[in-house]
Amino acid sequence: MRLRSGGVLGLGIATLVVALGAAGWAEAQSGLEAAKKRGRLVAGVKTDFPPFGYVDSGGKNLGFDVDVAHLFARALFNDENAVELVAVTSGNRIPFLQSGKIDIIIATVTVTDERKQVVEFSDPYFLSGSLLLVPKASTAKGLEDMAGKTVAVIQGAIQDKDVEQLQPKANRIKFGKVSEAVLAVKTGRAEAYVHDDIVVLTLAKENPDLKAVGKPFIPRPYGIAVRKGDMEFITWVNAELARMKKDGTYDRLWKKYFADVEANLVKP
Amino acid sequence: MTGTAYSFAWAAVWQGLPYLLEGAGLTILISLASMALALAVGTLMAALSQAPGRVLPRLVRAYVEVFRNTPLLIQIFIVYFGLPQIGLKLSPFSSGMWALVLYTAAYNTEILRAGLEAVPKGQHEAVRSTGLTEFQAMRYVIVPQALRISLPALGNNLVSLMKNSSLVSVIGMVELMFVANDISFNNFRSFEIYGAAAVLYVALVLLLTRALHVTERRLALAR
Repeated sequence: MRLRSGGVLGLGIATLVVALGAAGWAEAQSGLEAAKKRGRLVAGVKTDFPPFGYVDSGGKNLGFDVDVAHLFARALFNDENAVELVAVTSGNRIPFLQSGKIDIIIATVTVTDERKQVVEFSDPYFLSGSLLLVPKASTAKGLEDMAGKTVAVIQGAIQDKDVEQLQPKANRIKFGKVSEAVLAVKTGRAEAYVHDDIVVLTLAKENPDLKAVGKPFIPRPYGIAVRKGDMEFITWVNAELARMKKDGTYDRLWKKYFADVEANLVKP
Repeated sequence: MTGTAYSFAWAAVWQGLPYLLEGAGLTILISLASMALALAVGTLMAALSQAPGRVLPRLVRAYVEVFRNTPLLIQIFIVYFGLPQIGLKLSPFSSGMWALVLYTAAYNTEILRAGLEAVPKGQHEAVRSTGLTEFQAMRYVIVPQALRISLPALGNNLVSLMKNSSLVSVIGMVELMFVANDISFNNFRSFEIYGAAAVLYVALVLLLTRALHVTERRLALAR
């Protein structure tokens, strides 16, 4: 009996290693070439991060990043709809890129040194600090008031580490999605939710029972990401971004999505 | 298409192991607590399903259908996010545990009810005619046989429970699945970390099935 269950464990592990090992090949082809061959760009965008990536009541993807994805498709295929939008979260977007599920991440990725080790970043296209989202009745003014309090963050987002460092006395609770973190504040599961200023400001605007507090801390740039070493693709992305900045497209998108909260944003 | 060879980063596994084991600890804790309660609730419900009259058996039926026919994830969200809005705020651990308990107990109820009904009706009458009370008849004759019949199916259900406990990661419970996400979202070694977590789940479930086998054998010996 003992022998048998040991054998089962060994066999199980062996099966797992073989099954997973077979998938352990990274795609070496440029994401740009893959998209061209396919005739369609596969882009990871957020669906719960207004105004960068969200979904309207009809299920349509909207947002700054979504518009950029459509503009990239137009530049590549002369058809802005030649793009497949894949919903990603802060946690899974880099694994999705690494495993070839998507060609490109256009999903509010904050550029950090750790992430530079595993993906290729474009030039910055936005600058974001962090703010707190709290209930309207809250007296909290910032992270300094969060000692001993429960603070919601998103798993895999930079604020997880920021809060750990800046307010080690806070009890962090981590969720996979923005919507869950917002719900946690609304239902009293957390006293505050800390995330990028732009999403906190937008959520505060959309939810009358919540408000944004704090001064944007640690502003960092957003970058578009492709697979590590894919210089062909990232050069193309940078050229497109430069073109959008020059021909006024970027300013148009900025006005479209950030006009009513821009006073509180850090200008890039 | 060409591919680049993948190299398995053992260092990522060793680095993540202490945190993964910590997560496994909570997985064991919430699973064992849920198992005990799910067995208790299931037994109670199965007994009520045999109660005289129509009201209690129908209530049990309704409970089983509601909790068996809705996704566990929805039940977790209702207990964790929904109940506070109507004034019942359980701790994150209790929220996750009770969702697991109610979901698993619905299956246990059905398994135990089937076990009870598999004991021939004639036995019941025969035992009563020896002068034992209704409770004694159930306690000493019917339930032990029903349990023996139900045990393999109950065991499967407890194995499912242990794996289903990974779903409470969505409400921020720092159990094995949550920890695997937490590590791999930061070091981006998805294959190594989820692989290590999977191996730990296999080990936990094998331990559990072994314990169940022992219990099954003991019950068989007591026949």
